[in-house]
Amino acid sequence: MACARMVKHLRLPLLLLLLALAAECNSMSPPEKPDKLGCRSPDKETFFCWWTPGSDGGLPTVHHLYYKTEGQENMRQCPDYHKAGSNSCFFSKTSIWVEYTVIVEASNALGNTSSDPLTFDLMNIVKPFAPENVTVVVNIEDSPHLTIQWHTPSNIDTKSGWVTLKNQLRVKPDKSKIWKNYASETQTHFTIYSIDLGVVYMVEVRCAIDNSWSEWSNTTFVKVPNFSRKDNSFWILVFSLCLIPLLAAMIILILKRKTVKKYILPPVPSPKIRGVDVQLLKSGQSEDVINAMLLNQRFPVMIPWKDQKEDYLIVSDKETSYLPLEKKKIFILPLAMALDSEVQSKETSEVDHFPKDSESSSEESSDKTESSQLLTKCSSANVLNDEKANRLKGVTEKIFQPFGIGGYVDIPRHEHMQEADYSRVNEVNGDNILIMKKENIPHTLDTQGQEGSVPDNYSMVKEVNSDNVVFLEKHSESVNASFKAKGYIDWVNQKPKNLHMTGHSEMGVCPQLVGCEYVDTVPPPAVI
Amino acid sequence: MPGNIRSVSVVLVGLLCLVFCSQPTSLDAAPLCTNAEAGCHVLSLANLFDRVIQHSARMHSISNDLHSEFELYFLPSKNQIGRVSRNCHTSNILTPNGKENAQRMAREELTEVILKLLVAWRDPLWHFHQSMTHFHDFIDFSSNKSLKMSDMVHELRKGVQKVVEKMQMLGILSNSVSSLMSPEAFLAPGSAEWRLMKDYELLYCFRRDSNKVQNYLKILKCRIVPEDGC
Repeated sequence: MACARMVKHLRLPLLLLLLALAAECNSMSPPEKPDKLGCRSPDKETFFCWWTPGSDGGLPTVHHLYYKTEGQENMRQCPDYHKAGSNSCFFSKTSIWVEYTVIVEASNALGNTSSDPLTFDLMNIVKPFAPENVTVVVNIEDSPHLTIQWHTPSNIDTKSGWVTLKNQLRVKPDKSKIWKNYASETQTHFTIYSIDLGVVYMVEVRCAIDNSWSEWSNTTFVKVPNFSRKDNSFWILVFSLCLIPLLAAMIILILKRKTVKKYILPPVPSPKIRGVDVQLLKSGQSEDVINAMLLNQRFPVMIPWKDQKEDYLIVSDKETSYLPLEKKKIFILPLAMALDSEVQSKETSEVDHFPKDSESSSEESSDKTESSQLLTKCSSANVLNDEKANRLKGVTEKIFQPFGIGGYVDIPRHEHMQEADYSRVNEVNGDNILIMKKENIPHTLDTQGQEGSVPDNYSMVKEVNSDNVVFLEKHSESVNASFKAKGYIDWVNQKPKNLHMTGHSEMGVCPQLVGCEYVDTVPPPAVI
Repeated sequence: MPGNIRSVSVVLVGLLCLVFCSQPTSLDAAPLCTNAEAGCHVLSLANLFDRVIQHSARMHSISNDLHSEFELYFLPSKNQIGRVSRNCHTSNILTPNGKENAQRMAREELTEVILKLLVAWRDPLWHFHQSMTHFHDFIDFSSNKSLKMSDMVHELRKGVQKVVEKMQMLGILSNSVSSLMSPEAFLAPGSAEWRLMKDYELLYCFRRDSNKVQNYLKILKCRIVPEDGC
């Protein structure tokens, strides 16, 4: 009795306990249906399938994959659950162009759950893996280019022709967003030439079987250097070597620019008048101009023509002054002009010096010039030529009238002179001195333009002493003589003064010439 | 001037030579010759194989496109068991179902299989094209593809026949294949089954068979003339 009552009382808690136990058991359930079945063949010969398992229902769950091909009735189990990883099945022996049907079943203690079946043909699930070992080599020696090489995925049989691979690669600069695709049919290498220096490039490769493309390979980064170091240093060296001589040449040119300028642009000779200062002219003082033009001018000295012919002076007598005049020509000429066309002058320095009764420093023809000067100056005196005078060489007929008024006697070139016209040369002293014979014919050459008349102020040359001394005869005839003497004396007296006044150079020729009017080249005293 | 004339004449002669001398090489690109007529340059076997393989690849891609379009517009759901009857009219032709099987098969047999397949599809495709033109729901540009497909099957068969002839000429292939050349030999009773097939099934079957032809040709080529590309 008491037991029955106890059981009655225990029934409710037991029931509650059982219910509680049952409630606990309800959290365990059969597994969920596996989901997301997928299959893939990387080489058109094998394939593998994978699935995503659902919840296991709290109990340890196993998954099984079952498949069957078309034409078969029974499902077969997966041959390899491990090779392709967890939750996968790997098929090594396959048939193509047959439909496969695959089912995955999850089972635990409480039950089984099957996934949706998947049907496929092997030819439709072909998708190769990405290429392996992608290497990119940068080469900038000749022209910058990238050489890309890769390997086909393993286990793909292209030799038998079962699989034909196509390749494709894409390149882009690091900063850009646009990929550039290149197709490489069956080659596993490729060269890209259009790359820029100093840019980082990203390269990816993929392949395809029967137009089914793989994923892109892992990106390979490559940096193209900025320049070729070897080239750069070489060119720097060449450049600097070329620069040094250039710089040196420039410096030399700058330092010697004046010389260079003279060399390149030689100065054009401009006409110059000796002794004329152009700057002075430019300054424009007319007096200076006149001085420059007239006074400073040195007239060329007429050098007696060095002829072998000997010419001599012809001085006409008073009496014989009526002789035909063909041999005499009396001129009054302006300053410093040659009398005759026959006058031949040599333009030498001595010629220049001549009008000034030039210095004794005139070297070469000094003797001759002296003689000529001597003769001409003393032409007013009775200087007669003789045949001996022919020995006088270098004497021309050139007669110069120095500054001042004077007359000229034209000396014809007759070698043979009539004696009547001439006074005899008595003696020749030295080279150039004529010593006249004393004649009774006191005639002097009229050089004032009167033919044959003997001017009063002339006297005959009495004697020539030494090189430059000529002694005149005294006239004792008339007042003229006295006058002459006077003049003579005066002249003599004056002479030294004049001589001294005129200075040095003119004296050198005829310092003590007395009675000659033409000793001086300065404006003559108004003796006459 | 004479130098100029001479150089110009040399250039002209050179151009003329190029024009005339290039003609023999251009004959390589001439269409396939029948019976090796005189003056017709015979292509090499490898070139012939390459041509037919390219042709078959093109054919398969067109059939693939057609099938995808058809599936897109008329049959949206996939993964259906029993969706396709899988009863192609060419199922009775024994075809190797894998690489090893195809490699183990003799050349003559393989060649026969190819030819049989090609012959079997000529009429069905033509009728398919005819039915498509009447079927206005079908997209217009697809009708071009169906026409192209039927033409290509015809051309490919002729091309393969040329290859077989060449191989027989070269002694690579025995003459047992020749008996199967005529199309009538392939017309077996029951070949009219294709009329019962629906259009979609027809496309599905043809897609598979064109892939078979392409692969068989490749295997054959790499076995007989293993050049680059294998």
